[in-house]
Amino acid sequence: MASDVHPQTGGETRRWLDIRPLARNLVQRQSWFIAFILLDLLIIRAIQTDPILIETWDYIQIGISVTIQITIVAFLLAIVIGIITAFGRISKNIIIYNVSTLYVELFRGLPLLVIILIFAFVVTPGVVDWISGSDSTGQATGLPFLDDFIQRLIGIPEEDVATTALRSRDIDPLWRIMFAFALTYGAFMSEVFRAGIESIGRGQMEAARSLGMTYFQAMRYVILPQAIRNVLPALANNFVFLLKDTSLASVVAVSEISYLTRQYSSNRFRYPEGLLVLSFIYANLTIILSMGAYYLETRLHADRRES
Amino acid sequence: MVEREPIIRIQNVSKSFGRVRALRNVSLDIYPREVVVIIGPSGSGKSTLLRCINRLESYEQGDIWVDGIHLSHKATDINKVRAEVGMVFQQFNLFPNLTAIENVMLAQRVVRKRPYAECERIAREQLEKVGIPEKADVYTAKLSGGQQQRVAIARALAMNPKIMLFDEPTSALDPEMIKEVLDVMLNLAKEGMTMAVVTHEMGFARAAADRVVFMDKGEKLEETTPSDLFTNPSHERLKLFLSKIL
Ligand SMILES: Nc1ncnc2c1ncn2[C@@H]1O[C@H](COP(=O)(O)OP(=O)(O)O)[C@@H](O)[C@H]1O
Ligand SMILES: [Mg+2]
Repeated sequence: MASDVHPQTGGETRRWLDIRPLARNLVQRQSWFIAFILLDLLIIRAIQTDPILIETWDYIQIGISVTIQITIVAFLLAIVIGIITAFGRISKNIIIYNVSTLYVELFRGLPLLVIILIFAFVVTPGVVDWISGSDSTGQATGLPFLDDFIQRLIGIPEEDVATTALRSRDIDPLWRIMFAFALTYGAFMSEVFRAGIESIGRGQMEAARSLGMTYFQAMRYVILPQAIRNVLPALANNFVFLLKDTSLASVVAVSEISYLTRQYSSNRFRYPEGLLVLSFIYANLTIILSMGAYYLETRLHADRRES
Repeated sequence: MVEREPIIRIQNVSKSFGRVRALRNVSLDIYPREVVVIIGPSGSGKSTLLRCINRLESYEQGDIWVDGIHLSHKATDINKVRAEVGMVFQQFNLFPNLTAIENVMLAQRVVRKRPYAECERIAREQLEKVGIPEKADVYTAKLSGGQQQRVAIARALAMNPKIMLFDEPTSALDPEMIKEVLDVMLNLAKEGMTMAVVTHEMGFARAAADRVVFMDKGEKLEETTPSDLFTNPSHERLKLFLSKIL
């Protein structure tokens, strides 16, 4: 702001022209990024010109949308699950507290790979049997309404819906493992949200309540906005981890980029090319994400910004 | 000046934190338009007493009525009561993610459900009243302690409370900022706001208090006028306390 400029410091114009601090900052703090961009450009050029790499890219690139889809859907589900569970973990109700703690400990304790396998081969068939009725004779005995609903949802032809029962192989592997990711990351993120809520001083809740807000209004308008802002770096971290962990979906034949890479590389025996393209995609996705998170963070911290 | 029906009636209230007895059988009536100053050594239960009035603390025994509403009743909607009772804290407790004016607007919107334009108008009026209209769009961390406390007062006043509670509003302030906050409070007292004020600012007590209450170890030991307080303090412990703070 103009009125804040001290007359003594004077040399406004000189400081304007002096690009040395900017250059120094660029070299000292941003060299890694420049190197990254250069490397990136080199690889992009190779992918555009080298016939083998063109073929590799064309094969693997199809999976990018699947990778992103799993990441975003699972992350949004995990945020909802995480916030709800965080409230369970700070609840004074012993049942709610213990149920949510059991969930968190279980899902944090098992390897994600194991959880994915369980969801793909145990939970999904189990739920499908339960919904359709396990005798599978065609006429549903379980939950016919849900059975028909899910069949319509996954695109079974309308004339077949009433006569057939839901089968687990009708369910896309993508959806078999979506909840494995969502629940695992929901467990991680509930701890993040809990710590965030607990980091807000007691005085904030008291001030909000003293103004007549209900507990939920105080949470919604006062505590959570501050808590979420505080945990944003941790959330961004989780998002990057989740993005990378989606590669585990390849074990149950979800055609995301890692699965396609393995398929392509072993068929054509082109491991270096496949892995180069794969790494290129992951690295760019995560860097873009990190920059987006950084931007969001600085925007949300408007009150701490120098004015 | 004093009307007959008290707006706050505290009867035989006791409160413990585990084995610490924070309040022992405290009774106090506060009448509309009255200013009651509560003094006493640290840990004597002053904050706890104030916080029982808007139920930020629960109490085990006794009864409190605020504006005719019985707080001990299960059916009482405490949020309704709190909306009529403004509170100002020692540590300000402003919402740091909001600007000054947003701080003053939030509860009006959420609790009073006033339209946005009205909230803003009232918020500007209140900031004007506490003397910092020019800081409306500044985030609270950028304000001095005295300015923060005045925003906190404006935030409470914007709800049009019938009663204002102040818990050591100037204790966290640098000496040069105490006066600006006390001046706002003195004006409020002059306008006839009902106030219960925990403070060690004897100048304020002398200028504005109708009554002074002395508490020690959870008990109300003395209830007197400000002039009597200094001229003939009856209690030994009160004499000792006054000799320390004056
Ligand atoms: N949340 C709490 N938990 C446990 N003890 C408390 C709590 N709040 C106050 N106390 C105790 O109750 C007594 C009265 O405290 P308080 O009302 O804050 O005194 P004052 O405001 O007069 O300094 C003190 O002994 C204090 O340690
Ligand atoms: Mg206190």
